[in-house]
Amino acid sequence: MPAALATIHAIALVSCFALLGTSRIGACIRWLSLQGILLGLVPLITDAGGLDLRVVLLAGGNIALKGIIFPAVLLRLRARTLYPREVEPFVGFIASILFGIVALGVSVWLALELKPALPHAPVLMLETAIFVVSIGLFTIVSRRSALMQVIGYLMLENGIFVFGVITVVATPLLVELGVLLDAFVAVFVMGIAIFHINQEFGSMDVDQLNALKG
Amino acid sequence: MLPDYSIFVMLAAAILGALICLALPRPEHVLRLIVAVSALELALAANIWASVLADGFVTAADRWFYIDAFSAFYAIILVLVFLLSSIFAGVYFANETGEHGFTLPVAHRFGALWLGSLAAMMLVLVSNNLGIMWVGMEATTLLSAFLISLHPSRLSLEAMWKYLIICSVGIAFAFIGTIFAAASIQSAGGAGGDALFWTTLASPEVKLDPTLMKFAFIFILVGYGTKTGLAPIHSWLPDAHSQAPTPVSAMFSGFLLNTALYCIMRFVSPARHALGPEFADGLLIFFGTTSILVAAGFIVFQRDAKRLLAYHSVEHLGIITLGFGLGPLGTFAALFHTLNHSVCKSLAFFAVGRLGQAAGSHDMHRLSGALRADRLWGIALLGSVLALIGVAPFSVFMSEYQLLRAAAAGGKWLILVLFLAASSVVFLSALRHLIDMAYGEPQSPVPAARASIASILPGILIVASAMGLLVFLGLWMPVWFSGALGSAAAALGARV
Repeated sequence: MPAALATIHAIALVSCFALLGTSRIGACIRWLSLQGILLGLVPLITDAGGLDLRVVLLAGGNIALKGIIFPAVLLRLRARTLYPREVEPFVGFIASILFGIVALGVSVWLALELKPALPHAPVLMLETAIFVVSIGLFTIVSRRSALMQVIGYLMLENGIFVFGVITVVATPLLVELGVLLDAFVAVFVMGIAIFHINQEFGSMDVDQLNALKG
Repeated sequence: MLPDYSIFVMLAAAILGALICLALPRPEHVLRLIVAVSALELALAANIWASVLADGFVTAADRWFYIDAFSAFYAIILVLVFLLSSIFAGVYFANETGEHGFTLPVAHRFGALWLGSLAAMMLVLVSNNLGIMWVGMEATTLLSAFLISLHPSRLSLEAMWKYLIICSVGIAFAFIGTIFAAASIQSAGGAGGDALFWTTLASPEVKLDPTLMKFAFIFILVGYGTKTGLAPIHSWLPDAHSQAPTPVSAMFSGFLLNTALYCIMRFVSPARHALGPEFADGLLIFFGTTSILVAAGFIVFQRDAKRLLAYHSVEHLGIITLGFGLGPLGTFAALFHTLNHSVCKSLAFFAVGRLGQAAGSHDMHRLSGALRADRLWGIALLGSVLALIGVAPFSVFMSEYQLLRAAAAGGKWLILVLFLAASSVVFLSALRHLIDMAYGEPQSPVPAARASIASILPGILIVASAMGLLVFLGLWMPVWFSGALGSAAAALGARV
């Protein structure tokens, strides 16, 4: 179903650019949720073996966690912490979007380079995976709010998930569940950490975490 | 005896112990329980090691658990470090007061996360499936993060957040590497459901796609390398090691870093098959040497004793990584060095931790006069740091000497010169720090009161056994032990 993949590809790109250019954290969390739901659908479309229980569980688990539960946790955390509600980037929004355009070009090139080695993987999804991973990394290093770093980490997870689904044909369910469980715990651990940081520093800006050097 | 059941009992004991810790009524009970669980684990790991040395491997759960001589040796070091650190935790936390007091909620949190980390590291070592191994590795990050900020403060929260984010991203990279490795076996027409077993990946009959394997190894090395603390991706390490409570620092330095290196080594044999030995060995040598050089630079300027030891960890993990890249002789030396470094570094952290507790700071200036202030831990500090910088007759000297011979035998003269130069810098600057700490004028008045023999007995036990092991292995290596190291090296594809 190349048409469905093309739609997912397009909306994933839009969500990434929206995350690069949005200043309100609440809006970023909602874009992340949309991205999580969309990319969670990918195994339903690409899996060659048809809709067996493994694929449905995998897609369902991912959509539930990354599309619904994680965004809910993040929104709640944003509500419980006082400050800031804005993304407060180290790198401005225009520069961030310019980075996004360059990253998109590099992703297309890399996907075409990798294509011969991965004949079964749809090239559009390969491109999406690489692009989402790179934007996730960029978000982690370029945003001041600890909450945005968690959002970046979850984008990284989203991208890796797509990459895994399209390249590895038969991953045992146990492994998939383990990976999901880790992501689940990671978000909670990071959430608790942000809560403590906010209490201790009165803010969750990571540029205040600068006492340890050398 | 029943080595396959030992694997299950080992995992179950650690997980159950973690849960029981949450229900214990008094902090002292938690400290006793973690010692008891670690001792049990040591017995089980020794049992598994003995069977592995006799039969070559132990496997269980339809090959999902698989232990060869390499993982069995690492498991022994893991539980040894945990046992020593657990005994030390009793000594250390008994002396914590005020806002750092070991209250019941803190004890619950510590015990559960401590044994949980043990279970996660054990899972990494016994898993045959690279996906489960990855799950275990990420679990160690998540479980140990709150051990760093056991007492939340600005500094410990900063260290914990850096550790959490940097290592999570690193381990996400390792997952990309794992996917590439699984893809490399598929695209070369590979082996279905077992594609993620390292035993499958490492077997010479399996064909691997070279391009994908190359990507896989780079992502694995950078990803797990972040957690190993290889320079230049080590930036979380000195912060986490210096801010964590001392038993936790000792466990991080003594084994957590090695767990990540273990994961890298599981990908080395497949990379050697698919790409020839030069690619993987070259990268190991590059990252190893870089770590040694970078650490040497930072060691010169350190003021904080725990940060000093943290940079020593970067240096020694670099030495071990370098050894793994230097062929069979180097692999043998690297394995020997792993044990030596783990024991010696744990002891050094113990000593600095206790002395720092008395002085109220880990600033090296404040710690001066350690030998007069506290005879036992002063001697431990002197002995362990001398061992750490490679003074004979300690065993660290022997393993570093073997490593030099491996470099010379391989004709790697540039590496040899760089290693010697960096070691000399480390030796001189660490010795200068050490002489000030051990023999300088005490900054605070020396306490006149003498502790009862019963209260310092655990400390004497730790110092005597660790120093004894370092001196013993430095003077004489038993034949069975060198045989065990040889089979561990052979399990990595390096026959001596």
